[in-house]
Amino acid sequence: MRRRITPARAGLNITPMIDVVFQLLIYFLVATNFALGEQVFRLDLPDRGGVSSNRDPFELDEEPLRIRVRSSGEDGQVIALSIEGPYPQPEDLEDLENYLARSLERSGSALFMDDHPVVIVPGPDTRWEHVVATFNAAVRAGFRSVVFAPPESS
Amino acid sequence: MSLVHRKGPARIDANLTPMIDMTFLLVVFFVVVSQISEIENVEMELPKPQPSASAPPPEETRSVLNVLPGEDGEAIGYRLNSINFPLGDQGIESMRTELTRLYRTQPDLRINLRADRRTRQKNIEPVFTAINRAAREADRKDPARVNLVVIVDRQAPDA
Repeated sequence: MRRRITPARAGLNITPMIDVVFQLLIYFLVATNFALGEQVFRLDLPDRGGVSSNRDPFELDEEPLRIRVRSSGEDGQVIALSIEGPYPQPEDLEDLENYLARSLERSGSALFMDDHPVVIVPGPDTRWEHVVATFNAAVRAGFRSVVFAPPESS
Repeated sequence: MSLVHRKGPARIDANLTPMIDMTFLLVVFFVVVSQISEIENVEMELPKPQPSASAPPPEETRSVLNVLPGEDGEAIGYRLNSINFPLGDQGIESMRTELTRLYRTQPDLRINLRADRRTRQKNIEPVFTAINRAAREADRKDPARVNLVVIVDRQAPDA
């Protein structure tokens, strides 16, 4: 009499659970490798085609703020910046960004409007990272119209 | 076999077939996708401005233009989507033709420019010139648009 009728055992179907868990696992494994943390700067290339047909003839050209950037030092690791014209010369990127941000401040004595054209003038041997870093500094300071110099003037 | 089963208690069986089906499908999918993204995204060290004012890539029609990195800041060529172009005037000229074709078929095209952080400007400048001329040839009204691709630390994102 030790044995009784065994009750019906509850069967647990784990297949869908494993399906879903594996899917999630693979998804996250792959997704972490794919999203490399790439981001973009949006840049509108100005038309370098000389005479533009739809220009307002009465509009005065604003003198752009030209920032020269060079790579110096051994292996071109060091960034060298200068602003063309009678402006204080920045020592490094942070300096440049602070100056640009100050020149935009809405204190009534702002030197530039935020749509004032900024032209970045790299040399032929300037590293791309230094060009992008300068672009970044100008964008962070609040300038909205930042472009690269056309080839003939670089 | 069937007789034994009928008498014994109900067994818990995991049916592996759907799982294997799904896993294989996923494996095939990711193999294909990773091959496509490898062609577009050439291995290189992108510039890493810190902190960066860059934004996540927008969901627009875009083409990827890689400046293929060589030794010591030099480039060894260009790759637009999956087509390779050599350095020099000839290569730039054929790239411009291809860009013009792309602009004619996709007027609101944006070009993702990927270049190694060590690459010298003299190797990148011809790309801007080519894009500019291509956009003009395709009679675009607004300026040509380029996305400069950079990499950011995901640990310390900057607002």
